[in-house]
Amino acid sequence: MSLLAAEGIHSFYGDVQALWDVSFEVDAGEIVTLIGANGAGKSTLLKTVAGLLAPRRGRVVLDGRDVAGEPAYRLVERGLVLIPEARQLWPTMTVRENLEMGAYSRAARPERAKSLERVLAMFPVLEKRARQNAGTLSGGEQQMCAIGRGLMARPRILLLDEPALGLAPKLVREVFAALKEIRAAGVTLLLVEQNVPHALALADRAYVLESGRVTRTGPCTELSRDPRVREEFLGIASI
Amino acid sequence: MNARNRRSAAAIVLALLLLLIAPRFLERGTLNDLWSIAFAIVLASAWNILGGFAGQISIGYSAFLGIGAYTTALLSLKGVGPYWTLPLGALLGAAFSYVVGLPTFRLRGPYFTIATIGVSEAVRVYAAGVSYTGGSSGLRMPPGTFDFGRDYAAMMILAAAVVLLSLWIRSSPFGKALFAIRQDIDAAEALGIHSTRVKLVAHAVSAAIVALAGGLFAINFQYISPGSVFDFRLSLSIVLMPIVGGIGTVAGPILGAIIFSYLQIKLLSTPALRDSYLFLYGGLLMVVMLFEPRGLVGAWQRLQGLVRPPMRKAMPRA
Repeated sequence: MSLLAAEGIHSFYGDVQALWDVSFEVDAGEIVTLIGANGAGKSTLLKTVAGLLAPRRGRVVLDGRDVAGEPAYRLVERGLVLIPEARQLWPTMTVRENLEMGAYSRAARPERAKSLERVLAMFPVLEKRARQNAGTLSGGEQQMCAIGRGLMARPRILLLDEPALGLAPKLVREVFAALKEIRAAGVTLLLVEQNVPHALALADRAYVLESGRVTRTGPCTELSRDPRVREEFLGIASI
Repeated sequence: MNARNRRSAAAIVLALLLLLIAPRFLERGTLNDLWSIAFAIVLASAWNILGGFAGQISIGYSAFLGIGAYTTALLSLKGVGPYWTLPLGALLGAAFSYVVGLPTFRLRGPYFTIATIGVSEAVRVYAAGVSYTGGSSGLRMPPGTFDFGRDYAAMMILAAAVVLLSLWIRSSPFGKALFAIRQDIDAAEALGIHSTRVKLVAHAVSAAIVALAGGLFAINFQYISPGSVFDFRLSLSIVLMPIVGGIGTVAGPILGAIIFSYLQIKLLSTPALRDSYLFLYGGLLMVVMLFEPRGLVGAWQRLQGLVRPPMRKAMPRA
């Protein structure tokens, strides 16, 4: 049984349909990535799975239970945490306050001190910036803070929406190294990323989303050899 | 509570003690003014818990004030001691806050603000239309319920309590959840904050406080009517005070309340300017919005920044 699965999801923004019959699954311990162009529906899919957007049709199955339409705060208690796009830190709260608020859920609160220690060990720069307002951090630091804040909620599965967006190459590598470390700590990852080469190098399996539909899927090693994926996402013309 | 909070709390308790012994030294007129200022501080600080900390702008707080005032007046007329009616008024105010919050807090956008205007107007029309409230001619408190000394002390204690509560909320996990909702509600929800519930609780707390102030208002003025306690201009003043002082801070609503009540006291005693206070408020609001949206507290912080260039923080704390 997979840890998280979507089955035939149809999502709408008002009357505009953004997802058509999307299905995917993530097994415990895996890193799965959703790739696709801008507007393909990747963020919508993450929002739907995380309970921020209720699907019109379809099931979201977490631990074998349909949780479609359940609000985000309840899914966080169950160990599913989304790190939203563009970081979305609370800018006039300090880094430390941002991190501490990550452990707001009832499940995570008793472990707060321990989680904080772990997160600061993983991202030492956050320790240095702990008393600064989150809005004053650089882009890379903000991303570390957002990931750290997500980890504070003690997720079993972490959903990341474009964690490398707008970061310098060196920082992109740092972020991806951190993701590897998080997986090694036993957290399952579902990653949406525009940086397809990095995403395919990190993940075990990938789903390609095009105009709100899943058009192909498979192990990353296979997909990165797929001529269409190579041409569209890796910028390599097939000969 | 951190050291900064403890210092502030100590200052508030000290101020309260001074205000409680003030009746021995000050004349009645001055005490009346102090009552008005404390009343304004209660309203502005209570509003700020939801409107400032959580960023949910309500323009309908006169509804809670009126509910508290009418509860006290109606029960006092039935022979209940007026101070015993206060808890019930607070409870009714809190319960009524759900009427507005429950359907609108789940929605994004200005729905809540719009609903607060509509509901508070509906309550005013209702209170003026039915007979048990005395209709538009209002209610007079029964004789023997007026005791200025007592009402003065109660209002001072309430004002101090509201400010202390604001300090506590600011540093509590509950307060952090409110800030998180104001600054980024998506992030707040993604991290497990039940935003609707948190907003409902904040709304209920501030509504209960405003209803308490309404009860004390009825006791002090001995006469209430829809035109006095359910006045839309009152709802507007409650919003403007924290905005001018510094929305979302603890000191801001206090500053705004002091300035507003001082202005009002001065203007009301000058017959030619009696009705111009709203004009002045509007002007003040425009100046604040244009030059310092963070209010007087923001201006003060900016000034400090000029005096002490190496600021530890580039942005103000909420």
